[in-house]
Amino acid sequence: MNGRRLVIALAGNANVGKSVIFNYLTRLHQHIGNWPGKTVEKAEGTLHFKGYTIDVVDLPGIYSLSTYSIEESISRRFIAVDKPDVVINVIDASVLERNLFFTLQLMELETPMVIALNQMDVASRKGIQIDVEKLEEILGVPVVPTIAVKGVGIFKLLEKAVEIFEGKLSAKPKPVKYGEEVEQRIERIAEAVRDSGLPYPARYVAIKLLEGDREIQEEVEKADPQAAALARRLGEELEKLHGHSCPTLITSERYQAANCIAREVQRLIPPVKPTLGEKLHNVTTHRVAGYLVMAATLLSMFLFVFAMGNFFSELLSSLLYGLKPFFEGFFGTGFIGQLLWGGVVEGLIAGATIALPYVIPFYLVLYFLEDSGYLSRIAFLMDSIMHRMGLHGKAFIPLLLGYGCNVPACLGCRIMETQRERLIAAFVTTLVPCAARTVIILGLVGRFIGIQWALVLYVLDLLIIFLLGRLAFKILPGEPTGLIMEMPDYRLPHLRTVLSQTWFRLLEFLKIAFPLIIVSTLTVKLLEALGMLSFFTSLLAPVTVGWLGLPVETGVTLLFGVLRKELALIMLTTLLGTTDLSQALTPVQMTVFTIVSMFYIPCVATIATLVMEFGWRKALVITVSEVFLALVLGGLALRILVLTGLR
Amino acid sequence: MSTTVETGGREVPLAMLRDGETGIVVSVKSGYGRAWGLKKRLMDMGITPGTRITVVKSAPFHGPMEILVRGYRLAIGRGMAERIFVRVEETQAGCRES
Repeated sequence: MNGRRLVIALAGNANVGKSVIFNYLTRLHQHIGNWPGKTVEKAEGTLHFKGYTIDVVDLPGIYSLSTYSIEESISRRFIAVDKPDVVINVIDASVLERNLFFTLQLMELETPMVIALNQMDVASRKGIQIDVEKLEEILGVPVVPTIAVKGVGIFKLLEKAVEIFEGKLSAKPKPVKYGEEVEQRIERIAEAVRDSGLPYPARYVAIKLLEGDREIQEEVEKADPQAAALARRLGEELEKLHGHSCPTLITSERYQAANCIAREVQRLIPPVKPTLGEKLHNVTTHRVAGYLVMAATLLSMFLFVFAMGNFFSELLSSLLYGLKPFFEGFFGTGFIGQLLWGGVVEGLIAGATIALPYVIPFYLVLYFLEDSGYLSRIAFLMDSIMHRMGLHGKAFIPLLLGYGCNVPACLGCRIMETQRERLIAAFVTTLVPCAARTVIILGLVGRFIGIQWALVLYVLDLLIIFLLGRLAFKILPGEPTGLIMEMPDYRLPHLRTVLSQTWFRLLEFLKIAFPLIIVSTLTVKLLEALGMLSFFTSLLAPVTVGWLGLPVETGVTLLFGVLRKELALIMLTTLLGTTDLSQALTPVQMTVFTIVSMFYIPCVATIATLVMEFGWRKALVITVSEVFLALVLGGLALRILVLTGLR
Repeated sequence: MSTTVETGGREVPLAMLRDGETGIVVSVKSGYGRAWGLKKRLMDMGITPGTRITVVKSAPFHGPMEILVRGYRLAIGRGMAERIFVRVEETQAGCRES
């Protein structure tokens, strides 16, 4: 290219159709990853337009530029410090007032911007008409009406953005004027901080100081303690004058301004009949019907994900194993050939057959639920139950999915708002017995001891999850967050956006999970081939035999179980030389073995997911603490069972 | 900005309102400890003094409340609703009860 690059950032509230616009703009040239060191998703993409190479960054959906959440801090830093050439502020025409509250803050950052007035169709269905020209005039910023799901207005939006960049179109935001008393003080503080060298505009810093923004306060304190003191003093003056705290005052006045603008530009003719979406909302949040609909939806979603998963898993498995003769023909059946097959190819197959078939349908379903707006209704209904675990309603989804496979369940923890909640949710999710662990529970305890004892183990598991959830909630730092959640109007998800979100997140998953799976498979196979496994089992003997009272061979199976949990059972039969495990293991040993397998470690694919979502350190902490937990529980179970006279 | 203390109507936490009742926000208490962020968050969502809030319904088992504020639907937890103090509009409540 000719090097003419520009960076456009998409900013706006959640549920306004930002990701649909992003998808329209960037199509297949996307990359979805995380912001450095954060669990917050970063979507980037490129497109070519009028000789420019345009990088588009889709900022997280937020309601304010405070520092309440990581998303807000990230967005603010990006806009103020990285200074994109143009910001496209996507706003929902059907909820104009709240969206303008955010727009006014963007304008205070004095960034060149254009507004995409999106969901014009939804607004007109709700009887809201907006005078676009008047809005443009009041704000001093170009406004383009769009209907993103139909691609309406997107081209014009890009045109305007480029015109602003080229200076052909003036975009001089007319900032909010606060009340007289507030305005005077803002000006005095702005004057004081003008030369403090902060990356933000002086007026913005002044407003944020009065608003009680911690991040800005700290920065000013460092750069210019005198200015910070002045701001504090003037803030106190205002509080005395108005009887409200200063942050309340600023936020109220900004909302007041948003309200005035909205009232001036929109005409309301509310429809007489409730819309289909409203009826749907009433049913899905009803105190009885709501739960029935939820149960039915979740059940069918669960069945869909795992029916699809099982089908493709088996299909892929037989396909890939069918390649073995070709592979052997090429590499031979010697040491190298076996190592390559057992270590690399089987690792790939394991990854491809465990993770992929479940991850794809899961992502599809999750985005469908999220984009349609139904997820927020589930959270509404389940909030009080999940609250007892220190989480709020949304955490119910990953927890439930955990029974199928922990990998998509951990990925689903992204729907939680704060890092802390994501971590707690992921932690308890990895304790949920997935399908592979169910194979062990049912195949060992259920088959040889009795199905009622298998059920007892499930109840035990739920109890542990509940207790540990509470514990994690108590000991992890950070404030507990209550539910504050918009319930957007129902809408049909935009299929292409859902598909592309699924596809690009899948790529990200493959990139992180597969290397880890292959390396660990290769390591275990190498140890096996070198005859070092028995060395390891003897190393593990004090634990397996001494503490858990299991046969020494189980050490190997637990080691392999890390790769695939259901392998543990298969290997047990091979190593013990019988499929009738009741010949080789006592009921107590079976129970202990099952308990350990249930808890001891998430499988390698889950660990990889944890690494991707939370980084190495936290993944390691979760893994190690779960091994520890499993051993403690296993050992305790042995002693209790022996005490009660069982053998 | 008007900060006069209103005398008409009763001033109660939002959590006390019944389904269908409307109130005007008087104040949002930041509560104990580090809950400051939550107060700011509530205000960022549009719950500032003087704002009209209608309670639509509450989820069972002491669950969150669905409210209408500034033309959109918001769900807030009980704990949060305890901190928002509103002045009830008697006429509206009276209409429903008659």
